[in-house]
Amino acid sequence: MALDLPLERMQRWFQGMVVHPEGCDAALVAPEAEQEVPLERLREVILPSRTLTPAERLEIYHGMYPLRMQEALASDYPALEHFLGDDGFRELVMQYVQEFPSRNYSLNRLGDHVPEFVRSAPGIKRPEFCHELARLELAISQVFDAPEVPALTAEQIAAVAPEDWERARLRPIAAFRLLSFRYPVNAYVQSVRDEDHAGHPKARLKDTWLALYRRSYSVYRLELSRSAHDLLRDLVEGATLGEAVAAAPRRDGRRAPQEEELFRWFRDWVSGGIFASVELDGERR
Amino acid sequence: MTKKRWGFPDLGVGIGLRTVHFGHILSRWPDVDWFEVLSENFMDTGGRPLWVLDQVAERYPVALHGVSLGIGNTDPLNREYLAKLKGLAERTKARWVSDHLCWTGILGRNTHDLLPMPYTEEALRHTIARVRQVSEILERPLVIENPSSYVEFAASTMSEWEFLARLAEGADCGLLLDVNNVYVSSFNHGFDPRTYVDQVPAERVVQYHVAGHTHKGTHIIDTHSDHALPEVWELYRRAWQRTGPTATLYEWDESIPEFDVVHTEARKALAHREQLQEAGVAHGA
Repeated sequence: MALDLPLERMQRWFQGMVVHPEGCDAALVAPEAEQEVPLERLREVILPSRTLTPAERLEIYHGMYPLRMQEALASDYPALEHFLGDDGFRELVMQYVQEFPSRNYSLNRLGDHVPEFVRSAPGIKRPEFCHELARLELAISQVFDAPEVPALTAEQIAAVAPEDWERARLRPIAAFRLLSFRYPVNAYVQSVRDEDHAGHPKARLKDTWLALYRRSYSVYRLELSRSAHDLLRDLVEGATLGEAVAAAPRRDGRRAPQEEELFRWFRDWVSGGIFASVELDGERR
Repeated sequence: MTKKRWGFPDLGVGIGLRTVHFGHILSRWPDVDWFEVLSENFMDTGGRPLWVLDQVAERYPVALHGVSLGIGNTDPLNREYLAKLKGLAERTKARWVSDHLCWTGILGRNTHDLLPMPYTEEALRHTIARVRQVSEILERPLVIENPSSYVEFAASTMSEWEFLARLAEGADCGLLLDVNNVYVSSFNHGFDPRTYVDQVPAERVVQYHVAGHTHKGTHIIDTHSDHALPEVWELYRRAWQRTGPTATLYEWDESIPEFDVVHTEARKALAHREQLQEAGVAHGA
């Protein structure tokens, strides 16, 4: 005798079994589950096999769910996983998917809320450091997948007359992010990639600035000085080259960048393919 | 030889396009008949994966295989997902698009699992309607794969193979026969896998999957993590005798070894096909 459970209600009940934060035993006696399928009538919904009870068969699906979520998030957040350790990361994942379950067809979007979540995740160590680490790792994923936009070519640059550069505006490629941090998270990410077991930077306050961009389908992380970061920020926010350079010496009483510094920064950014186009008086060149 | 619906071609023996093999494929352009592509991995990226896929699709026949369509879901169809799937199929000139007979989540959630359907008249009507809708949107017949599963529903009123046959007929869709899934489910549910492959409508089978699995003693998990057992190859041979030459794909998704290991395993299918063809045992040959 089978319990009469329409497809939609069966799916609600079954999903409740799969995603329950505790085991299947707890899921089966949760009030909303018992309302649909009383425990004593479980065999009227799920048949036993030769070797497993209905609850044990459900447990297979329940057990695979967190492993899948953990694998997906570990792939996007390897440095955060390293910092928290296996147990800490597993605990974080279980908490996270309760608050931010996947609602997308792709697991690539599962981790979109990790940076905000780790800031206030219960029991997490060094939440601010974790937040910044997650922010960087999310940005790396976003830059990796961003649409491909051709970078500014040498010919396009040469086409701008020297006297026009002062009022030129530079537009960045889609695969670009400019980031600033209060902790050395880029160095931490690098040490994890290098498997540098002895040399992971401490989670101590240290201001750092980073340009993240993709060139030839590889993601690059270029550490910047604060002055270079601020100049680049002004440029990508729409200031003309003349405005950005003029603002540079006035910031916080800092030393004005030397001409050769400005030249070197600009050369690095252009050769890195950070800019997609140059505009003069609103017209793209 | 059984005449295929819609004239879908026998593409030969292919393997899944996996990130860990990108370097090998791009540098060697190996002698593979075709590649199967996991649709969701390429829908939202403008980065290297899409660039690699473009290169592969220029040189090899490609078929798209999804895991997030959720053809059995009771939530509405995801139109954004389908639009992207259609775009990817057009971009890659995919020979066909397949997904699984399963549901993936409800109330907007995606568990990223291939959850089991009850084989009832209600579920059949629901799935037929959805397959028809999807085929209309994609402007091509959908191909549906038999799942592996770990539970059976007391409410089921027909076998999985009967459900599949009626679905294919009612929705006018193709079938992807995964002989490893047949083997896995036959152990988990205690049926004869030979009955399954003997009952599937041969003229609608446009593709095979062969894979390895993990035996847990009390049940088998479909892990795609190993070589296929002789018993699975035997099912392939048995089915092949009814369907004749049909595109075959070897799946390896966990602990993926070097390209040549996967390719060698896939080529076992070629040896089986050649033996059967020489023996003239294919249906109608």
